[in-house]
This record gives sequence, C-alpha cells and structure tokens, in this order.
Amino acid sequence: MSEIKKIKNLKEFSTSADRFEGANLLCPGCAHSIIVREILNATNDDLVLSASTGCLEVCTAVYPYTSWDASWIHIGFENSSTAIAGAESMYNALKTKGRLKQPDRNPKFIAFGGDGASYDIGFQWISGCMERNHNMMYVVLDNEVYANTGGQRSSSTPIGSSATTSPSGSISYGEKMNKKDMMGIMAAHNIPYTAQVAPNKWKDMVKKIQKGFATEGSVFINAVSPCTTEWKFDPKDTMMLTDLSTDSLVFPLYEVIDGKEWNITYRPKNVVPVEEYLAAQGRFKHLFKDEYKYLIKEWQERVDENWAYLQRREEARV
Amino acid sequence: MAKKGWDEFEIGAMLRSFDGSIDDIAGTRQEDRTYSENNSYKASVADWRLIKPVFNKDYCIDCQFCWIYCPDVSIIARDKKMIGIDMDHCKGCGICVEVCPTNPKSLLMFPEQAEDEAEIASWPKKDEEEA
Amino acid sequence: MAFDKMELRDVEVWDGNHAAAQALRQAQVDVVAAYPITPSTPIVEGYAQFKADNYVEGEFVMVESEHAAMSGCIGAAAAGGRVATATSSQGLALMVETLYQASGMRLPIILNIVNRALAAPLNVNGDHSDMYLCRDSGWIQFDAFSPQGAYDLNFIAFKVSEDHGIRLPSIINQDGFMTSHTAQGVTTITDDDAYNFVGKFKPMNDMLDFEHPVTHGVQTEEDWHFEHKARQHSDLMLKVSPKIDEVFANFEKLTGRKYSQVECYDMEDADLCVFCLGTSVETAREVATEMRAKGLKAGVVGLRVIRPFPFAQIIEALKDVKAVAILDRASPGGAPGAMYNEIAGALYNTEYSPLLSGYIYGLGGRDLTKANLVDLYNELQTNVDAGKVTTQLQQFIGVRGPKLSFL
Repeated sequence: MSEIKKIKNLKEFSTSADRFEGANLLCPGCAHSIIVREILNATNDDLVLSASTGCLEVCTAVYPYTSWDASWIHIGFENSSTAIAGAESMYNALKTKGRLKQPDRNPKFIAFGGDGASYDIGFQWISGCMERNHNMMYVVLDNEVYANTGGQRSSSTPIGSSATTSPSGSISYGEKMNKKDMMGIMAAHNIPYTAQVAPNKWKDMVKKIQKGFATEGSVFINAVSPCTTEWKFDPKDTMMLTDLSTDSLVFPLYEVIDGKEWNITYRPKNVVPVEEYLAAQGRFKHLFKDEYKYLIKEWQERVDENWAYLQRREEARV
Repeated sequence: MAKKGWDEFEIGAMLRSFDGSIDDIAGTRQEDRTYSENNSYKASVADWRLIKPVFNKDYCIDCQFCWIYCPDVSIIARDKKMIGIDMDHCKGCGICVEVCPTNPKSLLMFPEQAEDEAEIASWPKKDEEEA
Repeated sequence: MAFDKMELRDVEVWDGNHAAAQALRQAQVDVVAAYPITPSTPIVEGYAQFKADNYVEGEFVMVESEHAAMSGCIGAAAAGGRVATATSSQGLALMVETLYQASGMRLPIILNIVNRALAAPLNVNGDHSDMYLCRDSGWIQFDAFSPQGAYDLNFIAFKVSEDHGIRLPSIINQDGFMTSHTAQGVTTITDDDAYNFVGKFKPMNDMLDFEHPVTHGVQTEEDWHFEHKARQHSDLMLKVSPKIDEVFANFEKLTGRKYSQVECYDMEDADLCVFCLGTSVETAREVATEMRAKGLKAGVVGLRVIRPFPFAQIIEALKDVKAVAILDRASPGGAPGAMYNEIAGALYNTEYSPLLSGYIYGLGGRDLTKANLVDLYNELQTNVDAGKVTTQLQQFIGVRGPKLSFL
C-alpha cells in the first residue's frame, strides 16, 4: 500500500504538479476539469485512466493533442469502466507473472464518464465492474444532461429541467421524471466505497478520493458538475452554482461504506432554499411562471425528504 | 501543428504525453517536463478569450482558491505562492476572480486588449461596504 | 514459472473448442475477458478450467456481455499483454462496435469466432453470417477447416498479430458444432515448443509503462481520420500477407504442417473448382476425389486467410480453371454472395475468365451433403461444355421448396 499524499490545507495542495493539462477544449468555466484536477492531484501515485465518450473525452484527446500526463484510454460511450477493469486485470496478471516494467509502483485505475455514459448507456458495464469488485474507481461527472451532444435529457436530468428532448413549452414544464438514484443503486452493489462529492468542498472531496484510493476493490464516485452551457449560467459562476447545489442539499455530500454504513459528510450551516438553486439556472427558468410554481414547492419537499431519508440511513447503519 | 501524411505518424493514432522517459510525473513541475509536441500543454487557447484576468499580487494572500478552482490549470502556484497566470491556457472564464476572497480582489477581469500594468496602477480601492 | 505443464499425447482427440482452449493455455494468455454463448463457450470455459487447475497463469474475467468482453480485452491489451477471447453469432454482433476500436488502436487481440447463424429466426448452428459481419472491421481473419486448424491457427495468429510491424488483431473462425463440437484427432505441440513458437509477449505503447504515458483512443475528425484509416489499410494490404507466409513457413518447420493463404486441393490441372470455407472444404475435397475417379477434373480451393484478402493468390489458384462454384454460407441479403463478389472482383481485370457461379448453402447449420457437391461438379461440367453459365448466377442449394435462383 502506498502512502497517502499529505494535503493538510489548500496551500499544501497547491504544490501538486498537475497531470491534466490546459488548452483542452472544454468550455470556459467547465466544472469537469476542476473535478478531474482535484481527483488526480489527490495522489502522487501513478495513474491509469479511461474516459467514456462525452465532453471530457472529446475535449481532451483530439488528435494530435492529448491533455493527459498519465496513460489514458477511450473506447466507446458505454465502456470506460470495463476498459479500466481490463487494464487492471492485465496489471494483476503481469504482477503475478513478474512482468511489470516498474513493479514497485502502486497505480490507481480510474474511469471517468458523464451521467449519460454512466446512468444510461454504460450502466450495465459499470454494474458489472462494481459487482466483480475490480480494484478501480469509477467517477461520474454528473451534469445531469447529455451536454456533449447538445443537451438531451438523461436519466440523471431532474424533473422540471428543460432539456432539448424534454423541452419546456407552452404546455410543458420540461423533464417529467425524477433523477435516478445512482448512488443508492451503486451502494446496493455492496462495494467497499461509494461517495457523492462536489468540487467546491475540495477537502471533503480529496478526503473521499484518498479513501477511495486506499480501498481495495471498487469505488464509485458521483461528482456534481455544474454545466455552464446546459444549465445556462455565466461561466464565472460555476463555483457559486456548486455552492448552491451542496448548500441547498440538492446534492448532499455523503459516503456509503460496504453498502451499509451511510455517513453524511457535509451539513451546511445555512441551508439555502432550493428556489435559489433553481433561480440561478436558465434550465429552470420556466418554473417561475405562476402555473409551475407548485413544482418549486415540490422540489423543496423532495429535497427535504431525501435529506431526512439520508439521515435515517446514517442513523440506522443498515 | 503540421498536417502529416498517412505514413508519418505512429500506428493506432496513439499519442505520447512526453518525449523520452519521465520517472516521477507527479513530482516534476510543468517547467521541468519534456512535453511532447502532442501534449496540449504545448498548444494555446488564448484566442478564445474576450476578457482576461489580471493579477495584482499586492493584495494576494496566497489562499489558493484560484489555483484549485481554475478549470484550465492556468493559475501558476509555486512553493505555496500564487505567482501568475498561464495566459496560453486561460480561457477567460472568470472563476478565479469570483472565488478570490481579498478586498479589493487580487484578480479582476478586463478586456483582452487591456494593458495589465495600467490596470494594476488604477486598481480599485478596498470596498468599505463589503468590509 | 509457477504453473504446471501439461503432458499431451502426440495425437489427442479434441473438438475445435478444446483445441482452441489448449492453444490459449499453451500461448500463456495473460487476460481472457469473456461472456458465454453457444457454441463458443467451451473455449473460455477451457481457459478458466486450466487456470483453476494451475495449468495457466493469468486473469479470467467473466464479464456481463460480449461487448464488455471485447471492451475488457481492449483495456487489457492496451495495458500491455497477451489477450484472447471467443464468441459467436449474436455475441459477435453485440461486440462489433468494439472490433473496429481494437483494430483502429492496433491492439493484437486474438478472437476465436465459432461461426453461427444470426437471428431472426434464432439458430445456434453453424453458418458464416457472423464471419461476414466483421469482414470490414480491420482484423486479420483466418479460417479453420477442422479442430487441427483451430489449434494451429491460434499460435499462428498470436505470432502474426503481436509482431511490432503488424500490431493488428486476429480472428480465427471455425464452424459451429461441425468443428467446435466434433472430436477429431489433433496432432499436438508440446507446451514448451508451443510457447517458444509464439514467444514472450513484447509490449508496445503499453499503458502500464508508467515512464512513458500514452493516450489511446483519440478523436480524429476530417483533418486526420482518413490518414489513420489509410495507414491501417496499408499495413493490412502490404505488411500482413508476407508476415503470414513467414509464420506459416516457420510453423511448418516446427510441426511439418503446411498452411497456405489459399488452400488448393487437386488444382494443378483442374477444370472445375469448388471454392468454399470451413468444414465444407473437407467435404468438397472428398467429393472432388470421387469426381476425379469419374473422369471430371475436379479441384477445391479453400480460403485460409479471409483478411487481408489474398487477391493475387486467388488469381493464381483460379487462373487455369474453366468453371468455379463459389459457395457462400450466409444469407446475402439482397445481393450476390459476398465471396462470389470478391472472387469475381479478383478475376475481373485479369486475362482469366473462368465461368463463375454462386451458391448459397448451409444456412443455420443445414448440411452440405456429398450429393449436393456431386450435383454441383456436374453442373460446372455442363457449364464448361456449354461454354457459358447455364443456370442463373445465384442458386440456393439444400433448401426445401421450389428451386430458388436469381440474377
């Protein structure tokens, strides 16, 4: 087992030498790269990475440029999980057979995917990898929409959001379905570690990522990634939106150990009304019409219910 | 980058991050790395910007919020100090300015063609209301 | 090495699946990621059992779909080691997306396809619909006619695919059930000889070389994509064929068994040729011998290497023949048979113009009988005597109901 990188405070963290590079093609203000940086910088160990088709992938490996300073692979939309599981299997095989070129390393195997790649098309592949308990971390960059293809709804898109395939209109408030509970589903695989993270709470995030790296077996991370383009807010406000998402408890930060032990890791001192979170984004603009205001109330009730549920899970230890 | 012919590149559309061997990437600073011509570090997105951040170190407290929240690895932090902005990689999103906690801010956005020195010379004063 | 060697008899009675599994063991494959499907399942079960019995060291990853199987193989191959799997039919159809990615990334994976029909209607028996499904996938493709071929071609495929001048994945086809589940005598190679022939895996652009990070699976748009595809095609067209000949020659030195990209039987002075793949080749050879006894100058050409298509060797094999029956074991879906088209394309601009006739046969495992082939040779002789093809260009043989022919 490798040593856990010491990151006491942000100053110490800032001495990290990034292994993700600029001049990638992500939108200005994209939260994806903030999340990726926090994850990669959480360790000094070697990295083996994969990404599913999506914004992160198409913006960081467009020939003839790569933005990755560690080995990285993309195959398709659905299989970054299995790609990295394959690489991890080869690592184990070569370790057994004494054929690793640098046998003294402790590489971390990480797969990235958007919510479309993870909640929808790659769901089965992730489930398979988690069930087999490969020694890997799967990270969802959850921006609740197919951003790379221009804003179609995914099963992560929340109710009332206007997406291009579930648009708001004169007789529609947009998306009709509730967001899929991917965290609950993954925790139900009884994998060693499942966590929801947000890049604004970097300390919480780094702690969870390091916990994940120290875990033998599968780790599932769901990271909220506000999308300036599809959530429709000014690129400068990415961190403000992330703050609103965590402090309104729309994205509660918690972890699940072995599928059983649920721990809430962040309790906002001042909980922000969900309305403020919704009001900051163009995708919910139509909800502020008189006829849809009941949906905002329902939103708040849903978030409150979920928070109560999480607290019961935490208390119950089941 | 020059457009190569079909017989002029490595098979499999494979790209290398570095020229030659690099032993400890996480322990090697950007300026000490032997980036390959295919590393996007060697490219620039400066022409994306309409507005740009200007850094006034007089007010900076080296909190490193700008460093951690910069999506484009463009805040240059060395030895726990913020020492400048990588203008080849900054896309001008303005997050660094939003998260800067000092009063007045140590980073502000200006039009791309603004002169940094002139802007620093006429930097806004402390906002007493906010303080 | 920590695993046990297996003592094999000089000749073992193996079916095609077991022969392929033994080859994967002897090649000491590092990772097998696989998903079960009839009739290929026993190949990967074999590897799993050999591993359970300590006859091979490696990782066996039983994934949740064929798509995931090849996805895992791609990840493992990119990581840098010897990788193989097996599938059939619907499984291959689910896997197809990733086949193009494996070849485009130049990863030397070995895929055993136990040929089976494609639904609907569902059918588990052998035809070549799945073989044809990946014709243009950029893989090297071999065809075994028997369990012996399934065994030998695996070693040959590893040797060709993993060569740093090649780095393209290989498919080894064998007929579902007729080869995969039919036990025959297979002349074996010792564990040491087999492994020495294949050689140690030599990594290239491997993700697990932490001192040389690589990016695999990039995006290329209109400014680069064409060049990359052109490069891959060029390597398939120019480099693979000589490498296969070289490996065939070395294999013959080791085993005495001679393989050719185009397998000719009694073709030296033949007037009539049946051109086919898979187990039909052996049936056709028997019938050709019988037709010779009746005075017909009959021969057989079997295609050993499907991709890269051995264009020149096919012309050479067929140049002095008067009539060729080209047998396609796949529903052509509104066109002449694929192999018919390829042979016609090979011969068209040459000075040779044997009479070509196409036959669709054996779909879903329907037997190709010796009686069918006798009729076929007689029909070819009729064509030769008439100086033209006397039937329509595409005929169905062995199907019930009114005679079916087109074109």
